[in-house]
This record gives sequence, structure tokens and C-alpha cells, in this order.
Amino acid sequence: MAVTTYSGAEQYNFDIVKKFAVMSLVWAVIGMFVGVYIASELAWPFLNFDSPYFSFGRFRPVHTTSVIFGFGGSALFATSYYVVQRTCQTRLISDGMASFTFWGWMAIIVLADISYVLGYTQAREYAEMEWPIDILIEVVWVTYLILFVGTIMRRKQPHIYVANWFYLAFILATALLHTFNNLAMPIDLFSMKSYSLFAGTQDAMTQWWYGHNAVGFFLTAAFLGMMYYFVPKQAGRPIYSYRLSIVHFWALSFMYMWVGAHHLHWTALPDWTSGLAAAFSILLLMPSWGGMINGIMTLSGAWDKLRTDPVMRFMIVALSFYGMSTFEGPMMSLKEVNALSHYTDWTVGHVHSGALGWVAMISFGSLYHMMPKLWDTKIYSNRLVEAHFWLATIGIVLYIVAMWISGITQGLMWRSFDEFGNLQYSFVESVVAMMPFYAMRAIGGMFFLTGTVLMTYNMFMTIRQGKRESAALDAKMAAKMAHA
Amino acid sequence: MEWLMWFSRPENTKPLALIIFFVTFIGIVIYVYGSKKRSVKLESYRDIPFFDDQPGDQDGTKDKQ
Amino acid sequence: MNFNFKHEWIETNIGLMSVLTMLAISVGGLVEIAPLFFIDETIEKVEGVRPYTPLEQRGRDIYQREGCYTCHSQMIRPFRDEKLRYGHYSLAAESQYDHPFQWGSKRTGPDLARVGGKYSNEWHVQHLVAPRSMVPESVMPNYPWLLSTPLDISDITNRMKALRKVGVPYSLSQAEYDANVTKFGETVASQLHIPDAQKNLVEQANFGNYDGDRTGISEMDALVAYLQMLGTMVDFSKYTDDAFVEFR
Repeated sequence: MAVTTYSGAEQYNFDIVKKFAVMSLVWAVIGMFVGVYIASELAWPFLNFDSPYFSFGRFRPVHTTSVIFGFGGSALFATSYYVVQRTCQTRLISDGMASFTFWGWMAIIVLADISYVLGYTQAREYAEMEWPIDILIEVVWVTYLILFVGTIMRRKQPHIYVANWFYLAFILATALLHTFNNLAMPIDLFSMKSYSLFAGTQDAMTQWWYGHNAVGFFLTAAFLGMMYYFVPKQAGRPIYSYRLSIVHFWALSFMYMWVGAHHLHWTALPDWTSGLAAAFSILLLMPSWGGMINGIMTLSGAWDKLRTDPVMRFMIVALSFYGMSTFEGPMMSLKEVNALSHYTDWTVGHVHSGALGWVAMISFGSLYHMMPKLWDTKIYSNRLVEAHFWLATIGIVLYIVAMWISGITQGLMWRSFDEFGNLQYSFVESVVAMMPFYAMRAIGGMFFLTGTVLMTYNMFMTIRQGKRESAALDAKMAAKMAHA
Repeated sequence: MEWLMWFSRPENTKPLALIIFFVTFIGIVIYVYGSKKRSVKLESYRDIPFFDDQPGDQDGTKDKQ
Repeated sequence: MNFNFKHEWIETNIGLMSVLTMLAISVGGLVEIAPLFFIDETIEKVEGVRPYTPLEQRGRDIYQREGCYTCHSQMIRPFRDEKLRYGHYSLAAESQYDHPFQWGSKRTGPDLARVGGKYSNEWHVQHLVAPRSMVPESVMPNYPWLLSTPLDISDITNRMKALRKVGVPYSLSQAEYDANVTKFGETVASQLHIPDAQKNLVEQANFGNYDGDRTGISEMDALVAYLQMLGTMVDFSKYTDDAFVEFR
């Protein structure tokens, strides 16, 4: 097996990794700020300010796009470029292509956010970008695929490490999903407006096939790739079981694609489709938990790290939330539970236990591990990491608990009857009952956002420290050279 | 061509698909866990992330091969 | 059968791995989505469902633009409480001309699939401009700009042509028009004729006077026209209670 000595910038393209890492923090702050803002709009509607640009309906996709594709996407670009180079022990095949994916991806997020505020949207959740932006995504994504696969083909290590399989599945699946869910007819070559190629039931099925697999591959498979590299690295121990990871990979890739229709229980979609989806949702629990066990057990024999290493704590809590969400999800896909939970805040809570608890926490952990290495220094302040950890954890718990209570309350109020068999509550009574929980959710979000701001400051200082150290080193070298 | 119609009925294709996928799954599991020699080989790939350790990695508890 | 298979082949061959991964991730979508386009039972045959008039379609565009789907569903489920609150459960046929579908996923506000005709035009206008003046506990944003923004009708034919290309039976030729007359009757067919789109739109807006203001056509006219039509196309009194069960 090929063993090489690390030689940093000359060996690898770290410049692109640095750019994406920094931008992922920038988008995290922007996206989470907008999230807190729209959460507050629901609690205190005057915040809509009678303005079309800030009203909830137009602002919500700004939040989802900025956090999923801005923060999550940038973190994935950064870590995938880092992991593929270091596990293949080779440089990315093209610096130009890498740079193109960076500027292209940033342009996509900025254009998308601006276009939503101006009222351009396909009105498909998590795929609101209109057709010109969709085409740009397609181009950037194909470039990404070529770059990633090309780098693997040039590897010095004969074996392809498992993290790269997950990244590959994520890139392929996203390409497939994005292409088919965005088939649309523009009304004019010079107009942003388009109409979906599909209608009604078929359109709904296509959208939620996309919608759930965006969760499955963008927000799960890819972050599992991150997990399979950074958890072992941070723990200083290899992954618990490589064989389990093989089974995990194939089972997850195969099963995820079936489950989208569980978003459409009890709708006009034929029953057999959503029933099949529910069955696969239950089955999916097994590979999901297999992955979680594989990650957590990596620490077996070194549990003390949880006490001493705050970065490790981010990763293990992320895996715990992953386990919890992947249990909650299949449960909510049961038709009986779904009848209560669908259309309520419970769904929103579930998404966020996955998005904040799993996706954001594993990204934070990985970035805390990776960024000091990129700038060849140590984390500026471990106490700030500690503070971030607690703020984030408390924020998530507040958020999820608020949504559980409000979601179940809503569901129960909608279906309760009085003694004469009439509906017991009017709709607006259920809205009133939500108010305290909407406020609580906004506060939970503020906690989480504050933690992210702390991290951004901490990383900013870390980068400054790294630059100062390398400048000092250069100066010393120069002085030595002059002396000699 | 009549036989093709057999596949268009869900009551036929559902069990068929189940059998195919289940057998594939069991196949993968047996392959992965079945042989001692293969297990050792597969598990050796766990160490790949540690092959290019940065000098001075504070967490470099793992010896380089 | 070759018993020398090694998973290493896949692990060391990125091309093979890509192909197999692609296979693994394609099956689920194919099995669940493709049949929906071929199986007849996906969509019921019911009378009354028709494509939107030009004004309604423009209203639908605005519904989409403002992101109403983020808080309102348009899909009533077959439960007793939903029947009492919203009406008969939604049929697939009722959204067969919806590009895109707007079933929604969240009810921060009530379902709108059958909101048409439940309230007066005046109520809708006042409620959209200032929701809390009608429902004090509401958390809906105010939409005052709908009333003050004139509706852009310049590209209505382009919009209908695009919809025609994706399968909505708007007519361009005499033959297509005649086919619509047979299918939907003359009144509806004339509304679906693209060459008359602008004229039809203006007439409907002036006749309906949805925003209560006779000077010009506002975005409010279009949105209220759309809301007032929602769920009114199928006359459920014509069908027995279990007429649609086989399609579930």
C-alpha cells in the first residue's frame, strides 16, 4: 500500500478547500440568521413589515437555500476535496475546474436568494430556483463530478476509501434528482418564469422523490462521507468496522430512493405508492443505525476523549441526533402516525433535528478538525468551541421540544370533536395555541445562531494566527538565509 | 410476448422483487462477513486515512505503517 | 458463475462503482414514478375539471410567487375532521392541470383546496391586505401591494403557450378549439383559446370586479379570482360517497 509523507500545499490543492470552508461559515451565519428571522415572523407577524421582499413566503426559500446549499453545500465541497485528495494521496486534477465550481456555486446561491426575494420561484420545496439557475447548477455539478472522479482515477492509493463512495453516491444522486425534478418549460427565452413539465399527481411524486432524496443523499450520504473520514481522524483510531461500512453503503444507496412518497400519505397519490414508500422507510432504519453504530463505536476504548475533546463531542452528538432522527422518520412514515403529524410543526421539528443535530453538528466538528490543519496551526480558543457546543445543543433541544409540543397539539386539536360530533376547535384556535412554542422555537434558533457566530469568530482568529505563524517562520528562514 | 404481461401485475412483481433484492442483500452480507481471510483484507483498508499523516499531528496516536 | 468475485474490483474501479451506484439509486424512483404515467387508475375521470382561465392562471402565478404554498396546503385528506372543516377529500383529477402542483406540506394556515365561494370577494381583499383586521389572532403577513400593483397581462399568451406545450389543452388552432368545445362545452372552450387570452382576461376581471375597484386590473383581481375558483369545479352532489374509493 502506498504510504506518502504529507507535504502540504505543494502536494494538494488546499486553496480551494480553504475558500469553501470559509464560505460555508459565512453562509451558515446568513442562512441561520434568516431562519431565526422567519421563525420570529411566525411568532410576531409585524416583522413582515408589509414588504413583499421580507414576507415569510418569499423569505423562507432564502433560509432553506442558504443553509442547505450555501452552508451544507460549501461544507461538502470543502470536505470532499480535502478527503479525496488525502485518501487518494494525489492532487485534484485541475485547479481551474476547482475554482470554477467555487465561483459557480457561490453565484448560484447569491442569484437564487436574490431571485426568491424578487418573486421568482418554481414553488417546489428545496428546488425553488428558476430555470436559468438550474442550468448553472447542472454545469457546476457536472464539473464537480468530472473533477472528483478524475482525481480518484489519478490516485496513488490502490483502494478507494469508503468516504469517497459516499461522496460519489451523493454527487451522482444529486445530478439525477436535480435533472428530473427541474424539467420545466420557460415562457420565453428572456423570462425567468417557467412551468413544470409534470402536473398534479405526477408532479407531486417527482417533487417528493427529489425532496426526500435531497435529504437522503445531499444531507445524509454526503455527510456520512464526512463522518467516515473525520471521526476516525479526530479520534486517532480507524473506523470501527470496514465491513459494516460496505453493507451500510449499498443498503443505504438502494433503499433511500424508495421512501420519498411517504411525504404524500393520504393524498391523491395512489395508496400502493405511499405504502411501498412506508415499507422502505421502516427498512431504512437498519442501514441508518448501522452507520451510526459504526461511527460511535469508533470511539470504543477511547471514551475519555468525549470529556477532553470538545470537537469529538460535536461529532458524537451529531451521530446521536442522526440515530434519533432516523428513528423518528420511519415512525412518522407510518400511515397512522402520519395522519396526525403531517401538515404540522412536528415535521418541521423532525427536519431540524436532522439538519441542526446531524448535518450542522457533524459539519462543525469536521470544520474544527480541518481548518486548523489547513492553516497549519491550532484552534485559537478551545473554550469558545466548548461554548459553541453548549449553545448549539441547548438551541436544538429548545427547537425540537417546541415543535414536538406544537405539532402534536395542532394535530390533536384539528381532529377533536365535541359531544355533538362537531369540530371542537376552529382553525385559528390552533394558531393561537402555537404562539408560545413559535416564540420558544425562535429563541432556540437564536441560541444556535449565536454558537455559529462564535465559531466563525474563533475560526477567523485561528486563520489569523496561522498566517502570523507562517509569516514569522518565513521571516526566520529569510534571516537565516541572509546570515548564511 | 404473453409472458411479459406477467411482470405487469404487482402481485407477481412484488414478491419477485423482494426475492431478488433480499438475495442480493444476503449475498453481500455473506461475501463481506463470510471468509476470515477476506475479513482481514477488508479491515486493513480502515487505515487509509492515516497514511498521509501530517508531521506533528497532535492526534497521531496511530503508528505509521 | 464466477466465484472469484471480489468487492475490491468495485473498490478499485471508479467506473464500475459509479455504474453500480447509479443502478442502486435508480430502481426506487423508476418503480414508483414510472407507473404513475402509464396506469389509467392514477387519475379519476370526473366531470367539470377544466384548465384555468387566463385571469385565474395569472392569479395562480401570484399565489406561487408569494410562496403561499409554504403555509397553505391544497390537499384535503379522507378524514372525518377534514371533511367537516374543508369538504370532500381532494381528487387527483382536480390538480391534473396544475403545473406545478401546489399540494403543500404544512398548514400554518388552513387548507385552501376548497376555499372557493366560502367567503365574499370583499372578505378576501380585506383579509389579504390586513389579515388581522378580519381574524385578530392570524399570523399571516399583510399583502397590501397586491391591490396597488397593476397586473402584468402583456405575456399572458406566452404563458398559455408554455402551458400548452407541457400538456394543458389551451387551443391555438380552430381544430383544437373545436376539440375543447366537445370536451368542456363552448363557454369554457372560449376561455381556453390562446388568441383571445388577453380579451378574455380583461373581460373576466371587469365583469367579476374581484378587488372592488373598477379602475384597472390589479394583481388582487387575479389572486381573488383564483382563490374563488379553488375546489369548485367538481359537483360532488352528483357522485355517491364511495365513487372514488377505487382510485385510492
